[in-house]
Amino acid sequence: MTKPSIPLGLVFSRSGPYAMMGGEMEKSALMAVDEVNASEAFDFTFVPHLRDPGGVVAAYHTACDDLIRTEQVQHIVGCYTSASRKQVIPIVERTERLLWHPARYEGFESSDNVIYVGAAPNHTVVPLIQHMLKHISADVFCAGSNYVWTWETNRVLREIVGNAGGRIIAERLLELGETAVDHIVREIIERRPPVVFNTLVGESSYVFMRALHAATARAGLSIPMLSCSLCEPELKLIGSAAAAGCITSSAYFESIEDDENRAFVARWKARHGSESSVSVDGQSTYTCVMLLARAIRRAGSADVAAVRRAAANHSYNSPQGPVWVDPDNNHCFLTPRLARSVPGCRFEIFWEADTPERPDPYLSNLDLASIGTRFETADAVTRRSNHLRVIK
Amino acid sequence: MSKPSPFSVRGRRALMVMKDEREISTVRRQLDRLGMSVIETDPDQALSPQDPVQDPVDVIVLDADGIPIKSDRPPALKINAPIIALIGTETPSRLKWLLDLQPASFLIKPLRSAGLYTALVVAFDCAQRRLEDAAHVEKLEERIRSRRLVFGAVLQVMRSHALSEEDAFTLIRQTAMRYRTTIEQLSTEILAAGGMPNRTARSAS
Repeated sequence: MTKPSIPLGLVFSRSGPYAMMGGEMEKSALMAVDEVNASEAFDFTFVPHLRDPGGVVAAYHTACDDLIRTEQVQHIVGCYTSASRKQVIPIVERTERLLWHPARYEGFESSDNVIYVGAAPNHTVVPLIQHMLKHISADVFCAGSNYVWTWETNRVLREIVGNAGGRIIAERLLELGETAVDHIVREIIERRPPVVFNTLVGESSYVFMRALHAATARAGLSIPMLSCSLCEPELKLIGSAAAAGCITSSAYFESIEDDENRAFVARWKARHGSESSVSVDGQSTYTCVMLLARAIRRAGSADVAAVRRAAANHSYNSPQGPVWVDPDNNHCFLTPRLARSVPGCRFEIFWEADTPERPDPYLSNLDLASIGTRFETADAVTRRSNHLRVIK
Repeated sequence: MSKPSPFSVRGRRALMVMKDEREISTVRRQLDRLGMSVIETDPDQALSPQDPVQDPVDVIVLDADGIPIKSDRPPALKINAPIIALIGTETPSRLKWLLDLQPASFLIKPLRSAGLYTALVVAFDCAQRRLEDAAHVEKLEERIRSRRLVFGAVLQVMRSHALSEEDAFTLIRQTAMRYRTTIEQLSTEILAAGGMPNRTARSAS
C-alpha cells in the first residue's frame, strides 16, 4: 500500500553569495525527507519541491508564491538571511501557510506563520558575552559585516559590556563579501585588544581569520576571537591552523557526545562522504523537517492550524538534544553551548546549559544586573558558576 | 497665510527613498490615487553628501531597511520634510537609527493600500505642529535673550526717575503699551537713549 504524500517546499539558495550554506541546508533537508519517507513510523511521505532563489532577496517571494500556488504546499522549510525571511512572511501570513526557519537570527520578530527552529539571541549572543566578561575581558574590538546581524549583535554587546564597566574599543564593519581586511588586521595588531568579536560572514570572515592568524603569529601575539556563527564546514574553508582557537557559541556542534548525534553524524558521513561535516544550520534544517513530520503525525493532517497546535511543547530528541516549540512565540527551546575550534577543523565543547533554554526573541528577560560587572568579587564568580556545567 | 489642513493631500509632493520594486509600486499607486506627485531616489543617492534632491518636497517616504547603519555617523538626510518610515526590521539597533531621523510617522511592512493616507495625515500634521512649536520656542528664546536688556532698562529708569524696581517696571510696561511696542524693544531704546526715549521723536519715526 502506498502512503499518502504531502508536498513540501524547500527554499534554499544553492547559488549566489551564500551558496555554500544553502547547499548544506538543502542536503540536510533532503536527508531528513528520505529518512521520513523510509520510516515505518510515519504513515505519509514528503514530496520535496526544490526552489533556488540564488540569494536574490526578491526571488524568495516568487519562489514561495509559486510553491503555494502551483505545488499546493502547506509547509515550506527554508530561508537563511533575515532579508529573505522578511520577503516570505507576508505570503505565508496571507495564505495561512507555515515557514519552518532553520537559521539563527537576531530576534525581534514573532510571526504566527513561522516556526523559528534556529537559535534566538539569548541562545547564542548572550552566553558568549557572559563567557567573555567572566574569562577574558570587558573591553572588546568588534569586526563585522555591515548588516542587521552585526548591528544587532553589537548593540547587545555594547549594552551588556557598558553595564559591566567595559567598552567597545572599536567597531569596524565591512560590506558583505568585501575581502579587503588588511586595515582592520593592522589596527588590531597596533592596538592589541584583549579580545576580538567577529561577526563577519562568509568570505570576508575566512580572509580576515587567515590574515589575522598570520599577523598575530608574526607579531608574536595571541588575541582570542569570539564568534556566534562559525561552523565546521567553514573551518575547512579557512584552513585548520587559521581557524583554530575561535571561541564559538552555538546550539549545535558536530562533536556533541550523544548517541543521537553520533548516529546522525554517521548517517550524514555515509551519505555525503567521510570528509564532509555537518553544520549548525544543516543540523537545524534536518531538525525542522523532523519537527514538521512529527507534528503532522500527531495532528493526523498537514493542516497548518492543526500542525501548529501539535508542534507546541512536543519534545523531539534531535541531534542537538531535546528541542521543542514554545507556543508563546513560535521559537524553540534549545541548549546553548560554547566550544573552541581546534586543529583538525573540529570544535571542542567546553560548556553547555543544564537544560534547554526558553527562547527570548525580544531579549525581554535579559537581566543586565545578573550578567555581572568587570570587577566582580570572587564570591560572585563562585555563585554564578554553579549553574554553568563544565563538561570538559 | 492660512494653515494648510493635514487632510488635504492633493497636489503635495512626495519623495520616495525606496528600493523594493513591489513596495514602490504599492506606494506609487496609492499616492497617485490621492492626487499627489511623486519623485523617486535611490537610498544610496539620498544620503550622498551632494544632496541631489533640489526640488522642495512635502513628505519623504523612506524605506528604513534599505540604508545601512553606519556606526560612526548619524544618517544625513538633508531634506527638511517630514519622514514616513517603512519598517520591516524591528531590532533596537535599527529603531535607534530611525529615532535619530525623527520620523513623523511610520508604516509596518508588508505595505497595503490601507494605512498610507493615515501616515500622510499624521506626517503633515506633525510637520505643521513642529513648525509652530519651533516658532514658539524661537519667541521664548528671544525673550530669554532680552531679559538682560529689560533688567538693564529697569535699573536705568530706577536711577533716572528715582523709582522702586516695581514702579520702574510698571512704567516701562505702560509706556511700551502706549507706544504699541514690546517691553524688550522699548528696553533696547531706553538703554540706547540712556533714559526714557522722547515720545515725539518716537512717534515721528
